[in-house]
Amino acid sequence: MVKILVIDDEKGIRLGTQRLLEEDGYLVETAENGEQGIRLGTSINFDIIIIDLKMPDYDGLEVLKEIKKAFPNTICFIATAYASYDTAIQSTRLGAFGYIPKPFTPEEFIYQIELGIKQRTLILDAENLKLEREANLLEIASEKSRLNTIIKSIHDGVFVINKSGELVYYNYAAIRYLNLADIKIEIGDSILYKLPLEIIAIIDKILNSDKILLKTYTSQIEILPNNELVIEAACTPVPNPDGSLAGVVIILSNITQFKKIELIKSQFVSMVAHELKTPLAAVQGFINIILDDSISINDEKRKDYLIRSNVRLESLTALVNDLLDISRMEIKTKQREIEDVDIKNIIINTLQLLEFELKKKDLFVDSSIQKKISNIKADYNEITRLFTNLLSNAIKYNKDKGSIFITVNEENNFICIKIKDTGIGLKQEERDKLFNEFYRAKNEKTRGISGTGLGLSIVKKIVESYHGKIEVESVFGYGTTFIIHLPINTN
Amino acid sequence: MNPDEVKKILLVDDDFDLLEQNKILLESKGFNVITAENSEEGFNLFQKEKPDAAILDLIMEQMDSGFVLSYKIKKTNHGKNIPVFILTSATYETGFKFSASDKEEKEWLKCDGVLIKPVAIDDLIEKLKSFNAQKK
Repeated sequence: MVKILVIDDEKGIRLGTQRLLEEDGYLVETAENGEQGIRLGTSINFDIIIIDLKMPDYDGLEVLKEIKKAFPNTICFIATAYASYDTAIQSTRLGAFGYIPKPFTPEEFIYQIELGIKQRTLILDAENLKLEREANLLEIASEKSRLNTIIKSIHDGVFVINKSGELVYYNYAAIRYLNLADIKIEIGDSILYKLPLEIIAIIDKILNSDKILLKTYTSQIEILPNNELVIEAACTPVPNPDGSLAGVVIILSNITQFKKIELIKSQFVSMVAHELKTPLAAVQGFINIILDDSISINDEKRKDYLIRSNVRLESLTALVNDLLDISRMEIKTKQREIEDVDIKNIIINTLQLLEFELKKKDLFVDSSIQKKISNIKADYNEITRLFTNLLSNAIKYNKDKGSIFITVNEENNFICIKIKDTGIGLKQEERDKLFNEFYRAKNEKTRGISGTGLGLSIVKKIVESYHGKIEVESVFGYGTTFIIHLPINTN
Repeated sequence: MNPDEVKKILLVDDDFDLLEQNKILLESKGFNVITAENSEEGFNLFQKEKPDAAILDLIMEQMDSGFVLSYKIKKTNHGKNIPVFILTSATYETGFKFSASDKEEKEWLKCDGVLIKPVAIDDLIEKLKSFNAQKK
């Protein structure tokens, strides 16, 4: 509802205009002097104010000035009988919308008021529009800066080039991954020639193709030599709304770790292949000799070769089993069955299983196990595997009629197990490589002892998976001691 | 010198099954074979026996024991003039790529050829022939 204020010292005018305006449905207030007019006009946001020019206390123009200061969008009319060109100009300069000469007919008056209301509506609409636009712009600006912050801070590198190969956007990760930190780079630079050849080739392909295929082209690039930094670049064309090509967005991911794991894996596979080939070659060699009619060997030799072939095949089987164990263990850390495990029991059971080997070498076993040993939380099969490997090594690498000393103690929430043999011992350089996969000490004394080269690497994997520790002490020619610390509470 | 003149061959291999097999195969072709199971023993035997050719396993104590031994043999006065071959099953799948087929690689590897296990005896004799042909 339109609110109108009439400021006039003449009572007749006040009442007359009030009645006229109220008949037309307007809300009307009146003020009988300048002071009252200023008070009302600066405290309420009226749509229209009609100000008498000549009042006893205030000049109408003074009142106009005060009101306009408070509400610049209020439509003000100056009403006076003493119309003059000067006053008209002055009042317009002070922000009056119009000038109502007295006396006026009701029609003239209402017509002027209606013009004023139209103007007021226009002004308010414009004002609203402006506010709305400002709010929108603010929103867009903050959205943009939010996106910007996100893209700038992500781990992957992002950069965008336009159709002419000029840099349109980039984040810092992109600069880092492209190793361009030392070169000054700005938006708008022709960047193509600074990029790795692999990326240039893909971008060229995208920029020069006849139609846009919304397809991502990837390439793996070694940025720093020796796999120090390897990235994968994924280049995707960016279309305009009309479907034409706008540019290319390139995402760079750091795949260095992935590449390193891949390399370790392929080296492991190569070593496995080699380890599998060696016993096969030996077996094949014996068979070829037996089958070769041009080579004469006696029955005794032939049998010897068959027995030796069999030994090689047994070691091949053991190797395959160890490999399966390793792969199982790598999966199993997630699905092992944790229960209370009695280490003393496991050692006794393992020694029983190895009794045949112990007797064959006529070995003496001396075990000193502390009476009260806590159970540990572990997978029974893994702990059994751990001691089987260690004890069978203590047998294999022992001398005939030698000894094995086993001690088990509990100290500071750890179970400490020592397994000492009186065997061939280790040289310093052998000790350093002992836990490496496929490492086997090769010297005159290990000749003829079969093994896969995986046993101790499995032992180490098991111990470490329970946050334990394994150490080795050895004197070459006199024996080796393995010391294992396993936490009682493996969690 | 033709391969018939190669009479005494030194074999060094830490796998005593393969060592014995190759010894038997070479003996069946009329060679006199002397054997050693490690680099040190192999070099001592080489100096003592002055063989007409040497065949060395690559991976023994170390991944490159065969090359090291070959280098040592080639540095001696006698070693310079005899064919030395490296024997290995470690080839492409182990990441090794060598053949000693071109002069530069031969110089670098310090041996006269690489034999892939299991070794075909005819292949070995062929290699000895070509070595001696080149010498002429």
